[in-house]
Amino acid sequence: MRPMPQVHRMNELFFEGTARGELRIRVCSRCKGRSHFMSEWCPYCYSQKLTYLKVSGRGKVSHFTVCHTSPYPEFDQFTPYILALIELEEGVRMMSNVLDCSAERIHVGLPVKVHFETRGPGRTGPDPKDATKPGKADKFVSLPMFVPA
Amino acid sequence: MVAIAAAYELAPGRFPELSTEDLFRKVLRGALSEWDIKPSDIDGLLTHPSGTIAGYDIYFHDRLVTELGLKAKFVETLNLGGATYPAMVNRAANVIRAGRCKAVLCIGAGKFTKLKDGGGEMMARAISDPHLEVPYGTWIPALYGLLASEFMADHGVTNEDIARMAVSERKWAMLNPSARMRKDGPITVDDVLRSRKITTPFHYLDCSVPSDGGGAVLVTTAAVARKLSKQPAYVLGWGEAHLRGRCSEPGRLTDTGAIHSGAEAFKSAGLTPRDIDVAQLYDAFSVTPMVLLENLGFCKPGTAAKFVNSGGTDPGGQLPVNTYGGLLSFGHTGDASGMSLVTAGAFQAMGTAGPNQVDNARRVLIHGYGGIMYDHGTLILGRKP
Repeated sequence: MRPMPQVHRMNELFFEGTARGELRIRVCSRCKGRSHFMSEWCPYCYSQKLTYLKVSGRGKVSHFTVCHTSPYPEFDQFTPYILALIELEEGVRMMSNVLDCSAERIHVGLPVKVHFETRGPGRTGPDPKDATKPGKADKFVSLPMFVPA
Repeated sequence: MVAIAAAYELAPGRFPELSTEDLFRKVLRGALSEWDIKPSDIDGLLTHPSGTIAGYDIYFHDRLVTELGLKAKFVETLNLGGATYPAMVNRAANVIRAGRCKAVLCIGAGKFTKLKDGGGEMMARAISDPHLEVPYGTWIPALYGLLASEFMADHGVTNEDIARMAVSERKWAMLNPSARMRKDGPITVDDVLRSRKITTPFHYLDCSVPSDGGGAVLVTTAAVARKLSKQPAYVLGWGEAHLRGRCSEPGRLTDTGAIHSGAEAFKSAGLTPRDIDVAQLYDAFSVTPMVLLENLGFCKPGTAAKFVNSGGTDPGGQLPVNTYGGLLSFGHTGDASGMSLVTAGAFQAMGTAGPNQVDNARRVLIHGYGGIMYDHGTLILGRKP
């Protein structure tokens, strides 16, 4: 099983959305700044009054790499896989994988749309109490992936 | 005025029989036997986390203080990834300028953890978001692959163009008996493109060589430096910038902090890119010296590939780059990687680079970065104060 995200305070609005088949971006209630879910405050005005916006799930590939080599055993069966940054129509960047797309077809600017994939239960990032050990997630998490639009 | 009075670098290799601590001791023994100083002359120490306790030892300075029997006024365990070592020279210069220390030892030694020994996942977790990035299969070459895709799409740069940087560095490595890849002989662009695919656009020969090694420099007052060396490497300028910590943050990945650290370094030295005779540019992958050539102002945006293709960075070129073989062909020494840029840069300014010496290397620029070009430090050394 490939590593799973941990749902916690910073990203719970995001994964609450993916569980319902919605892709969400974060919107600051004060400055209306839009961002991804990587901090506890708005990266533009530092407000902690944050809400979210359900977005279309459409965007374009802004950066990509086709991984021919697996970084660790959990990814062995998936090579070659495409790691990409997606610029959503609504103006926020997120990392994801592009599925159902060949190494010949992928390019900067490729239009893509979201596709949810369920992963779990399994191993997550570092255990919050001991960063030297992997954590565990005992539930399923829905992860947004992208496919060519 | 402050100077690098002495420099020492182990020939990198793979030393399974040596621990990281053993490597530190090997660097200390080598440096102290070559340098005309005793540990009692050293009143400051900078090291990086050795990775020996729970994978990350932030108290490693204490062990070295004991090992050397130091009575120091300044010690620190510092980590900025590949920017660590040029930053050490800056931190040492600051305490010397402030009159607090006379001689600061900057040291690093490391072992590059192999992918299959957990190195791939360990580094992915260190430099990408555990929840919103790691689950997609991040690892260091892939994150640099994202950065490279922007550079290539913006300027119509090809795989062949990027490979040419690896060819240039191998030319320098062929002159350096300590460079690990010298034994493999010179390479061509075709050799790079025919080597194993890692993650686009990188082939095996576009990637730095996993190695074990280390080095040290002694940063002192100009007066002490002149006693230890006929030609010290004077510290002329410094700039630093830290503008992002994740690839998913907004903004261009190839407009890096080097734009700011470089401008600040040139300003503090009263110099421009045209005044630089040699550049040592951190090269985890073949594309990054090209990005830095543009960000630091040596090449206009979109022209670095052409400059490298025309032999500009080669031996005899207009701006020799990574004159010892770089991480690509000398070796990437894990946590100590980046020290080699500083030692090789100091040797050039001191005129002691042997077969790799560039004629008239009056001013040398050293640029280190950490993370996926997140942390940046630009150091300028010169033959005259």
